[in-house]
Amino acid sequence: MDLAKYAELFRTESREHLAEIDTALLSLERDGDAAHIAVLFRSTHTIKGMAASMGYGAVEQLSHALETLLDAMRSGARTLDPDAVALLFDGSDALAQSVNDTVEGRGTALSPAGVALLERLASAGDSARSVSENDHIFGAPRLPQDLGTLELSDAVASVKPSIAEKTIEVRLSPDASLKGVRALMVLARIEAMGTVRSIVPAQHSWTDDAFDGTFSVAIGTSTADDAIESSIRGAGDVARVTIREATVGRSERETLRHVRIDLRRLDTLLDLVGELVITRDRLVRTADGMAENGVADRVLAGVVHDTARLVSALQEEVLRTRMVPVGQVFDRFPRLVRDVARDLGKDITFITEGREIELDRSLLDAIGDPIVHLLRNAADHGVESPDIRRRAGKHPKGRLILRAARDRAAVVIQVEDDGGGINREAVLKRAQSQGLVDADITILSDEALLKVLSRSGFSTAAAVTSISGRGVGIDVVASRVRALGGALELQSVLGRGTMFTLRLPVTLAIVRALLVRIGTETYALPAAHVIEALEYDAGAVSTLRGQETVTLRDDVIPLLRLRRRFGMDAESDEGTHLVMVEAGGHQTALQVDSLIGQQDVVVKPYDGVNGAETLFTGATILGDGTPALIVDLGGLT
Amino acid sequence: MGSRTVLICDDAIFMRTMVGDILQQAGFEIVGEAETGVQAVERYLQLRPDLVTMDIVMPDMGGIDAVREITKQDPAARILMCSAMGQQALVVEAIQAGAKDFVVKPFQPSRVLEAVNRVLAA
Repeated sequence: MDLAKYAELFRTESREHLAEIDTALLSLERDGDAAHIAVLFRSTHTIKGMAASMGYGAVEQLSHALETLLDAMRSGARTLDPDAVALLFDGSDALAQSVNDTVEGRGTALSPAGVALLERLASAGDSARSVSENDHIFGAPRLPQDLGTLELSDAVASVKPSIAEKTIEVRLSPDASLKGVRALMVLARIEAMGTVRSIVPAQHSWTDDAFDGTFSVAIGTSTADDAIESSIRGAGDVARVTIREATVGRSERETLRHVRIDLRRLDTLLDLVGELVITRDRLVRTADGMAENGVADRVLAGVVHDTARLVSALQEEVLRTRMVPVGQVFDRFPRLVRDVARDLGKDITFITEGREIELDRSLLDAIGDPIVHLLRNAADHGVESPDIRRRAGKHPKGRLILRAARDRAAVVIQVEDDGGGINREAVLKRAQSQGLVDADITILSDEALLKVLSRSGFSTAAAVTSISGRGVGIDVVASRVRALGGALELQSVLGRGTMFTLRLPVTLAIVRALLVRIGTETYALPAAHVIEALEYDAGAVSTLRGQETVTLRDDVIPLLRLRRRFGMDAESDEGTHLVMVEAGGHQTALQVDSLIGQQDVVVKPYDGVNGAETLFTGATILGDGTPALIVDLGGLT
Repeated sequence: MGSRTVLICDDAIFMRTMVGDILQQAGFEIVGEAETGVQAVERYLQLRPDLVTMDIVMPDMGGIDAVREITKQDPAARILMCSAMGQQALVVEAIQAGAKDFVVKPFQPSRVLEAVNRVLAA
């Protein structure tokens, strides 16, 4: 049997189970509910079975040791104390590491660290065994293989009610005053009863005048409905409480189970559709041309029209198959935040919102790292230690929110903390001392602040990190987001917190672009950033502080001659058109040789030249087979 | 059981009188009044009342700082914030500082008493 073709399946499926193990461990640590052990056991057992079939020895050994320990915990032979939970965490880390090493071809043997852990796991499991073996005297010993299918026994379940996922909808009395504050008081009571998973509408909007006092909170809790309701009503001004069992998590997972197609197939499909889209455009243009010349055929025109419509529908459908809920990536983060918080001695409540929002698979893979960066930053430098928070009159528990939301054609992802905010003065001072900001500037706007922090070199300066409490690697995040055709935004209030916003296109694959000619080459400008195109008028150009500008309807706009920017000879610098674009929060006029027209282009990744400045986010192949580079408008200016 | 004791903290005599009347009619005993945050803390420690009503804006230490001071000394203190419209952010701060509930001016006796009962029941 050729196992290689199962390797990919092993990878995806074991990652799903590892994620489940993480989630269950976090819940176990939080509420000590023995019900989570059953989940842990099942996932570990599944991984063990798969690893054994694949001949992945290290993974099999580790999962077996974990399973033994879990079994001892389940039977009550090993107590569920913090040490045991810590050992489970270490065990799951080692297991994840081992799975990674194995699927990435770094060998199937156990690492030295893994061996050490294996011994710890084994001794913890063994010390319990002497007790559990006594049990076996009274019955046939259970085979490990059978355990995976065993559900949590009723006896264990009755010891502690298990955690249920619920959605609680609260409506405040219409005449309640300061509804936002009242809602916060209700939330505090809900938080005391379990683990809040998400809040709708987002909590920061509660203090808006438009907040009508209705909100819902998804929570994992073992509290009974009537107890939840009476606690909530105790907060006052509550008109109605509706509690439902939430099923979102499960149905979401079931949907995902159906999407087990090799990604490369989807990519190929998309490439084909992309070319079909381009061909459709040519077909439509040709038909239009015939009509103008009076040689149109009615039947042919009808067929062209239908074909165009079907291609559009097909394009939409193919793009939809690539969409995945962001929850898939978000699931990695609770563990990350917990670990960072624990290492730093911080107390942080981590909340995700909008897990159901969908993004193109390729985008989703690409934003993981930037989000990790921002979350780490927020947990490390944003949220203060409990002591400092208490002194500042804040709740000692910090709050970190990861939110996804649709905003017209874009998806926004926000990382928001209620920490100390960025110290603008310190950043400004340092930026001025490095000559990054004019000396006469006295205050940095959010936009200017982000620009300074995004300077590579600046942001990694140790002094700033310690003063401002932020800045590590923002340049990396900004450039990554820009490469995806998105934008990074920042809002920060000293003492109150910081919010980073990633604004992303829903899909990377096909974008509308304005094609322009510069020299002998064709370039594509993403249409989302283009405001208008007009004829170039040399009379409107003037020079302000060494920067060329054009005056347009009383606005003075910086002028950028793309010929020069792209390093072509400047002598024949006579473009006929200006394209007004908006990127990075401001307008720029780009001078181009001539306009070609608008069309959908299929984006292909562009690696650029190593070490060179990246002016382009990608490349595309035009209908006639010639390549065109897609200009990074955010990075130009 | 004797009647419940209340300390009223507000820099305006008008408001103190009004809150006092509402609570007195409901059977509470007004054991003290304070005009500043500093006084509020002093009187609280001296009188240990069952309930405190606390204005947000007062001279010489505001109500929120007073809440912080009082709850530091007595985490079980039952403090009801009295706020004007448009002080949402301040009320949030006061609750985070340890106040148990709030009422918004102009006061309606029924709402004040509801809030007082909630605070005492908690």
